[in-house]
Parts: sequence; structure tokens; C-alpha cells
Amino acid sequence: MSRQAGRGTESKKMNSELFTLTYGALVTQLCKDYENDEDVNKQLDKMGYNIGVRLIEDFLARSNVGRCHDFRETADVIAKIAFKMYLGITPSITNWSPGGDEFSLILENNPLVDFVELPDNHSSLIYSNLLCGVLRGALEMVQMAVDVKFVQDTLKGDSVTEIRMKFIRRIEDNLPAGEE
Amino acid sequence: MAVCIAVIAKENYPLYIRSVPTENELKFHYTVHTSLDVVDEKISAMGKALVDQRELYLGLLYPTEDYKVYGYVTNSKVKFVMVVDSSNTALRDNEIRSMFRKLHNSYTDIMCNPFYNPGDRIHSRAFDNMVNSMMMQVC
Repeated sequence: MSRQAGRGTESKKMNSELFTLTYGALVTQLCKDYENDEDVNKQLDKMGYNIGVRLIEDFLARSNVGRCHDFRETADVIAKIAFKMYLGITPSITNWSPGGDEFSLILENNPLVDFVELPDNHSSLIYSNLLCGVLRGALEMVQMAVDVKFVQDTLKGDSVTEIRMKFIRRIEDNLPAGEE
Repeated sequence: MAVCIAVIAKENYPLYIRSVPTENELKFHYTVHTSLDVVDEKISAMGKALVDQRELYLGLLYPTEDYKVYGYVTNSKVKFVMVVDSSNTALRDNEIRSMFRKLHNSYTDIMCNPFYNPGDRIHSRAFDNMVNSMMMQVC
């Protein structure tokens, strides 16, 4: 079954509430299975990583972007094309570090956390940690090692959700994806 | 506007009950509890007719000398009971209906919270804010 490159973003519409509820059920089940929040965060990151390494292929096939020449281009592509294609939102890019290797993505609204309120006993849970794993995994497949983490989260009372991405290095040798 | 708002589960235990703190809360708990009988009566009376014509809004359940009690039941048998001050005659029926609609919407939002188990007591900040906004006007 071959894919047309110009299929565009309106290929399969799905109800966003079903998606949000599915993600919510996933996180609560993980919380029940692993008693402590740190383990849940790690698992979400691993799951995100596995999604990311596969998602990048779909993304490159559908969006037809060429190779990015620097990290700024990468940031633009992630915010304007990737997030728009998969989550329907366009985060803004701010807070570039002076060396140009770190930036922040600001999400006004995060579709994963519609209707969610974190209970008090899970205060250190990073609910959308899956997104960090996805970004990390996807960029690793295009030879960029990055560190992704949440610095602000609307679930914890902040006004926006902020994801900080830091470029670590370019991956020169093709390591097999045996990293967990 | 409202003096007491309660959300009752289908097994008839309270999921959420909040009243204006100046009054004796126990009295409101009692009022809400007794109004449940009226709710059940209305549901069973209407149920004999075609079920899909049943309206969610039950209307005035019964008036006492100080208060009027209104009821609303969802299709999942979750009941909302609202007690309003009788002296507040400016409150019209469609205002009560819209307040119940807001309650129902907030209730569905809580249900969508993956950390909420149906049947638990409701501890949501968003729901509290919405209920406070409905009760605020009582000085």
C-alpha cells in the first residue's frame, strides 16, 4: 500500500475527546501499576521514544521537508509542521539560548490535558511526558541527540505549558536503536 | 442565587454537597435528602410514558416556607438538587434551567478527568469555582 506524499493533514480525522480519554486512561493505568510518579514519568518517556522513532518516518513522508541545516530550522519545522500535523496546535518558539542550542516551545493549550486535573497525591507526575519521548526519539532518528523536558505545565498551575529542548550533539555513527 | 447545590449519585449517596456557609448545613443536608423521594416519584411517574420523551429538568420539587427545591436528573440517574431562597422571586424558570445545564456540563468535564473514579466524591477545583459562582450572589 503506497502512500502519496502530498496526502496532507486531513487524511484521517478522529475525535479529539477519544484521543484525550485514551491518553488519560493510559496514564492512570500506569499510575496504578507503578506506585511512584518517577517510574511513571520514565515509562511515559520510554513509550514516547518508541512512538517517536516510528513517527518520524510518517512525518517525513507526509511533510516532504528537506534536511534542516541548523537547529533553528529544526525548531521551526517541529513547531509549525509537526505539532500542527499531529496535535492540531502550533506552539510558539521562544527563549533561545545565546549559543543557539536551546529553545522553548510554548503551548497555549495542550490537547492531551483537556479536562484533566492532577490529584494531590500525584504532584510530581509529568502528565504529558510522552511528548518529550516522542520528540527525543524522532530527532534521534535524524541524527540529533536532544534533551527535552517540561519546565511549565498548566496542570501544575502555570499559565502555559513550556517544553525546553536542548541540542546535545549530532549523532555521527549509526548506533543501533537498542537503547531500551 | 442558589443557597445549596448537591450532586447525588445513582445509588442516592451524595457526591458533592455545598451550601452557603452562613446557614446551618445540616438543615440543607436534610432538605436535599428528603427531596430525593420527590425526585424518585417524578422519575417513576414519567417513566411509564415513553422513556425518551422524559425531560432531564424536573422543575420545582417542593416549596417550603423559606426555600424552594429544584431537581434535575441525568440519563445515568445522577441527580442535581438545588435549593434557592424563596425571597429571591426574580429567579425565573429558564435561569434555573441554565444553571442546571452549567452544572451538567461541569459534571461531564469532571467525568472526563482520567483521575476521577465514578462514584468518588468530587474534589475538583473547576467544579468548586463554578458552584461558587452560582452561590456567590447570596450576601
